[in-house]
Amino acid sequence: MNPEILQRLQGIVTAPFATDDPYIAYSYSKNVDPVLKGVPDIVIRPGSAEEVAEILKVANQERLKITPRGGGCCEFGGSKPIGDGGIVLDLKRMDKILEINEENMSVTVDAGISWGALNAKLAKQGLYTGCMGPGSGMVASVGGGISHNSVGGGGCAKYGACTKQLLGLEVVLPSGEIIHTGAQANKFTKVPFGRYGNGPDLAGLFAGDNGIFGVKTKVSLQIFPRPQFANYKTFVLKGNTAQSGAKIMQRVRREGIDVYDLFYLPDIVTTVMSAQDMFKPWKNVKRLKGMVFYTVEANSDAELTEKCKSLDGIITTEKGTDIGPEIADGNIAKWHYVEQGHWQIYHSLWGITPTSEPCTAECFAPINDFPAILADLDGWEGAHKAEIDKILAIAGARPIVGSGPIMLLGENDVEITCGFTTYPHKEAREINLALWQSIIEFVTQRGVQWYMMGDFCSHVFTKMGAYAPEYYTLLQNLKKTLDPNNVLSPGKFSLFEEAADK
Amino acid sequence: VSTKKDNLQKQFNAVHSCMGCGDCGYAIRPAVELNLTCPVKEVHPTSFEPFFSRGKMVIAKGLLDGDLEYSSALAEIIYQCTECGACHETCHQSRNPSIENFVCRWIDHVKVWEALRRDLVEDGFAPLPDHARLLQGLKDAGARNPYGETLASRNNWLKTTPAASVITNDSDMMLFAGCTAPYRNPGPLQAFLTIVEAAGVSVSLSDQEWCCGSVALRIGDIETAREVAAHNADDWHAAGIKSVVTNCAGCYRTFAIDYPELLGKDAKLPLFQHTAIFALDLAAAGKLKFAEGEPQNVSYHDPCHLGRHMKVYDPPRDALKAVPGVTLVEMPHNRNNAWCCGAGGGLKSQFPQLAADIGKTRIQEFLMTGASSLVTTCPFCLSSLQGALKNAPLPGGTQPTVVDLLEFMAKNLAK
Repeated sequence: MNPEILQRLQGIVTAPFATDDPYIAYSYSKNVDPVLKGVPDIVIRPGSAEEVAEILKVANQERLKITPRGGGCCEFGGSKPIGDGGIVLDLKRMDKILEINEENMSVTVDAGISWGALNAKLAKQGLYTGCMGPGSGMVASVGGGISHNSVGGGGCAKYGACTKQLLGLEVVLPSGEIIHTGAQANKFTKVPFGRYGNGPDLAGLFAGDNGIFGVKTKVSLQIFPRPQFANYKTFVLKGNTAQSGAKIMQRVRREGIDVYDLFYLPDIVTTVMSAQDMFKPWKNVKRLKGMVFYTVEANSDAELTEKCKSLDGIITTEKGTDIGPEIADGNIAKWHYVEQGHWQIYHSLWGITPTSEPCTAECFAPINDFPAILADLDGWEGAHKAEIDKILAIAGARPIVGSGPIMLLGENDVEITCGFTTYPHKEAREINLALWQSIIEFVTQRGVQWYMMGDFCSHVFTKMGAYAPEYYTLLQNLKKTLDPNNVLSPGKFSLFEEAADK
Repeated sequence: VSTKKDNLQKQFNAVHSCMGCGDCGYAIRPAVELNLTCPVKEVHPTSFEPFFSRGKMVIAKGLLDGDLEYSSALAEIIYQCTECGACHETCHQSRNPSIENFVCRWIDHVKVWEALRRDLVEDGFAPLPDHARLLQGLKDAGARNPYGETLASRNNWLKTTPAASVITNDSDMMLFAGCTAPYRNPGPLQAFLTIVEAAGVSVSLSDQEWCCGSVALRIGDIETAREVAAHNADDWHAAGIKSVVTNCAGCYRTFAIDYPELLGKDAKLPLFQHTAIFALDLAAAGKLKFAEGEPQNVSYHDPCHLGRHMKVYDPPRDALKAVPGVTLVEMPHNRNNAWCCGAGGGLKSQFPQLAADIGKTRIQEFLMTGASSLVTTCPFCLSSLQGALKNAPLPGGTQPTVVDLLEFMAKNLAK
């Protein structure tokens, strides 16, 4: 890249925060997957929305591609460039809590702050964000969570995805203009308090956009008092545990029980976790199979007891057996809530064997669909035995196909953390990519919605023709209107049809 | 030009087991009061990814994949690390004894950092200038210490030590003085001899002691480390030494972990003990009589090499609590979560401002406890934290101190 461009960028953020050092650039080339890579020319750590705006103006003048990056935890390569070159905007320097407003129960933060850091501060005041962001929330940024419609960090059965708490955004548009959405679209509004009104909800345009429509620089969220009472239980299921898990979730919704978290752990998860001695107490569980665990919160002991009674009744009807109250008994729900294991539960499913990493197909589906999708994955694995055997021959270990926890979400749907774990050997790269594309297509055809889509999933989804043509045309037109020079996150969703070189 | 990656290649599984979650740079978990990130990243002027574990791991992947090669520029990045092991601890943090995350089984982060450094040295891109100066002192036959002081003057500290008479060649337990204490700050060694005298035991001291080799190992010069290790082992063997006690956390880690690797599993090595454990044993056996002291709040700083690397957490605390009047007040980052002093991994010699800034954050944490003394068990930590305290604004009317555990104990012995 022209050295004068770097100098201009260094002038915007002050020199140390913009670099073309090849090693630093390379360190931003990967996210959380074993195969995708894109090395930027320049990495910048801006300190304000104004700096982001100036950077985008330069990008338009020079036709530079810009990839915003929060915690760098995208499982589909969304926070690194697609292909080499361009600029990564590392937004983690923008990490301040700007206002906790206990009168209006809202918080406004720089978009680069992590869910963990935000909730650490809120916890001191007896507050939380409800949905605690993604499972990677100790690192993942609030802005990244909104960009991905994140779930997984706890509280999603009660509060839904983190976008549900979104009140408003400050966004730097690809052209460099700064806008405010929601109530603050009215320039006379003092505090964020709602998304709808003042015309259409433009925050929704940026929520789940995977960073293609703008760079989020400030986020306002609802906050909630953390109830003083909570209980958490884990149950072992019998028979077809996926069917039982789905029935339990459906009844919880039908009967309107207020549950904070409700997870189903498939048989393969509990079996592997136990066999590998990851959760030692499960060694003592007879006839270990799939499990469900829940957390409920309440404002009184009586309310808590009532909720637990209702839930226990449902789970017992589905032949669930309470595993015991303590973590040492195997009660993973207690770890998940009390020790904030919710920000680590997914980590525990990675690295089952050395170097294994997920090629994920993490997605949302209606509650009643997930047992069939899990069963279908067994068929997919059988159909791809030859490729899986090739990876076994290269890596000396067999990829594992299946799903991690199934989590109840706020809209009568679930998150399915399916995919396959594989190995990063260079010789296996093409096979891994082909398998990954295949499983994404396979799961898409089962009617799911995707969580984060980033580089790879957005590309596969688009290329397989999953979008209705009219919808895709609208998406393209929106992109071309907001970002006519295609400088922001180019390649995602193939909106300018510049298919990334895989 | 393709560079050799022999040492890093041995860490293939560890490097590729890193998922890139980034907890090593940002971990924060309020429910269990966990806020354990990377001390270098927290004070670094830019905090780009390579200035904590995740970015270094991605670079290591690039090296193994052939996308990157070693260079002097890379050395400048890799050595901006204290090798304190906080990243390793964070990666292993299920924070419940019943739960062990898989990933942590496959990665020993410090071993990866040391492999990178060894490759850089072997390929000629390191040592960096200030590290080269330290190594020169080790290699100098008339010095054999990183300060370049003369070997002949190594035991000069005894001349001003009141309890020097407890040194005897008859004892099969040898004091390994290390380099920093005898040449720069002999107080802890002198206190050790006072304690030994009070307990009625004796120790030997070699006049042929060389640097333990820790400095060379952390820099990545394995051959120099092996040379000095072999010399020290021969010296102990020739003197019939059965146990070696040292006041330096770095020496202790090097003897216990690195010497068997450097010299082979068949090497005849004595037992190794840190003075904190030794002094606690004396106190627990009733061999030390302490004066009745005024109540005082004391905090303890875990040296990385004694704590995270050797898992010695309780003995120094128990030794402190053996002193009448002492109430131990923990800093928020303690035991396996302890914050580095900034001096480890050669950071202080090559990147002194980074090291000073890390030490400053640690001292701020200490001052917030309101304790009167910060006690530690490593000469590097002692020096760094004393330096940081000197430059820190102190709460009005207070005169807190940073002292070595042995000096603290010796000062409180009954007259």
